[in-house]
Amino acid sequence: MRSAGRSWVLLAGFIVFYIIYLLFGGLVFSTIERPEEERLRHELASLKEDFLNRSCSSAAALDLLLLRVLQAHRSGVSVLQNTSQPSNWDLTSSMFYANTLVTTVGYGHSTPLSDLGKAFSIVYALLGVPFTMLVLTACVQKLLFPLVVGPVGLLHRYGLEPRAACALHLLLLLLLLVLCFFVAPAALFSWLEGTWSFLDGIYFCFISLCTIGLGDYVPALQPGQKNKPLYQVSVMVYLFLGLMVMFLLLRAVHKMADVHGLTRLLQLPRCEEASPEDDHHPIREPGDKSPTQPLQPASQTTYNTINKG
Amino acid sequence: MEFKELFNLARVPSILLLGAVYVAYVLIGGVIFWQLEGPLGKRDFIHMIKQRDSLLHKYTCLNPESLYEVATVRHNCDTRNALTLEVDKLENKIQQFALLRQVIQDASKAGLTLQNNHTTDGFWKFTSSAVFAATVVTTIGYGNISPQSTGGQIFCVFFALFGIPLNIVVLNRVGKYMLAFERNISDFLESKKIGKKIWMRFFVHLISYLTGMVLFFVVPMLVFQTQEGWTYSEALYYCFISLSTIGFGDFVAYSNPDIYYPDWYSILTACWIFFGLAWLAQVINHSIDIVERLNNYLKNKIFRGKKTEEETASGAGDNPETQVEEEDDRPSEHK
Repeated sequence: MRSAGRSWVLLAGFIVFYIIYLLFGGLVFSTIERPEEERLRHELASLKEDFLNRSCSSAAALDLLLLRVLQAHRSGVSVLQNTSQPSNWDLTSSMFYANTLVTTVGYGHSTPLSDLGKAFSIVYALLGVPFTMLVLTACVQKLLFPLVVGPVGLLHRYGLEPRAACALHLLLLLLLLVLCFFVAPAALFSWLEGTWSFLDGIYFCFISLCTIGLGDYVPALQPGQKNKPLYQVSVMVYLFLGLMVMFLLLRAVHKMADVHGLTRLLQLPRCEEASPEDDHHPIREPGDKSPTQPLQPASQTTYNTINKG
Repeated sequence: MEFKELFNLARVPSILLLGAVYVAYVLIGGVIFWQLEGPLGKRDFIHMIKQRDSLLHKYTCLNPESLYEVATVRHNCDTRNALTLEVDKLENKIQQFALLRQVIQDASKAGLTLQNNHTTDGFWKFTSSAVFAATVVTTIGYGNISPQSTGGQIFCVFFALFGIPLNIVVLNRVGKYMLAFERNISDFLESKKIGKKIWMRFFVHLISYLTGMVLFFVVPMLVFQTQEGWTYSEALYYCFISLSTIGFGDFVAYSNPDIYYPDWYSILTACWIFFGLAWLAQVINHSIDIVERLNNYLKNKIFRGKKTEEETASGAGDNPETQVEEEDDRPSEHK
């Protein structure tokens, strides 16, 4: 029990440290980027005033204005509203940006305007991306037994042979995943965002959870959004949980491919897993290293799931 | 060591086949996106150009209408008071702003710059569609262009659903091949008995790491700086953001409609992204492996003497993924 408890504490420690890392990133980005954003806004506002103050306009002047405006628009600064809009770089928005950086989703709805911001983004991501993968792997490792190995074993004990058990379990897991992480959030997003349809919501969920992150749909950006900080934090939590479940699904698919002999056919690494008995034998000799760390080297999901194992 | 074994020639055909399937998948996706999005993109583009021209037409300096307006204002200046004049000016401004806003919205929706007059395909040409398909499948996802039509979005979802696992499998194979190559070299050097095994390994790792850095960061940085007209820091930032698959989209190679790109540029960029992704993933896995080994080593030091030999002998510190397929190698030798 002691070592099992210790691994839970370690996992909790990882998650707390992850949150602190995000907070830290948010603070730093906010301090670096906010003045830049203000400066850009002033520049665009004066350009716009300048343009509108003339009673006529030339093609060259219009094109120049449009070029500047579109460039700024791509970095998240817009001149379309008449009223002043909230900053793109307040604390929660910066945290949201740090989160998209660190999970490699990378929407691009707001990007660092200053060189310092860009440099810090690189360093932050260099450390943050592997760390995030580590945290996600640790969580998946914890969930693996109750959500994958256990049910499959259960089905197996009810008389289903391993292949069928794996397939059935995968199907059920897939159904659960689609309902909880695609259908429900999509409905929620389409209600909260107003201009998004339900299909847009599903498209957004899929593109985000695969870490593609095109950025054509980004939540919490509508003008006059109520409770914007709370909304952004909940989207971050959704992204984290969703990514975790995607990793889990990938492991389950890998296990099934293994059982069906596909991995050997494609010459991929086999699925290594902690056997169900591991968690039930908490008392170990002191030299044994396995239960104390949540990460088993043999069953680690590696960077970007590119080397699946 | 034989040349064949050094380059692992036995497994090259299967990799080439897999690579061919991958390239075909991306190109076919590109064609389909082009067909789905092209007409819509063109329509948006034409609409935006019309709006822009109407704004210009209404307010151009040489336009007879505006000349008349200016003349009217001058005439009315005598008969009206200053307040009414200000109101007129304000109304003019509001109208102008409304038109400007429309143009900006249309332009950003069509995702275009406005320097040239594009009368041909607009943004969704075949090459940019293929680039888009590649960014989806590698999960980079720049987003500088994205599907606007419902059909395009639905197809994007299914395309990614099958393309991403394919991408993972292919990159896995290529990465393993690169790692195997590196190990073969270090074994070869070790057989020459130049030095201790551990230092040889370290040396080879260092060299391959530095080569990778130069090949996938420094050289592309220089190429992008000259071809795209970015600064060195912007080019480096772009390299990192792309290879880590974050892919913001504030800088995208091969996407500036105002630059004429040489023919080899697109192929070079595609190769860079592909091999760069494989290399970076290997580097990070390797780093995690090293951290783990260090962790085990420290633990063994702390629990000195207790089962240290058994653990290191069983290779418990070795990560089976970064380990080259020693199990796979044996059956292939027996073939």
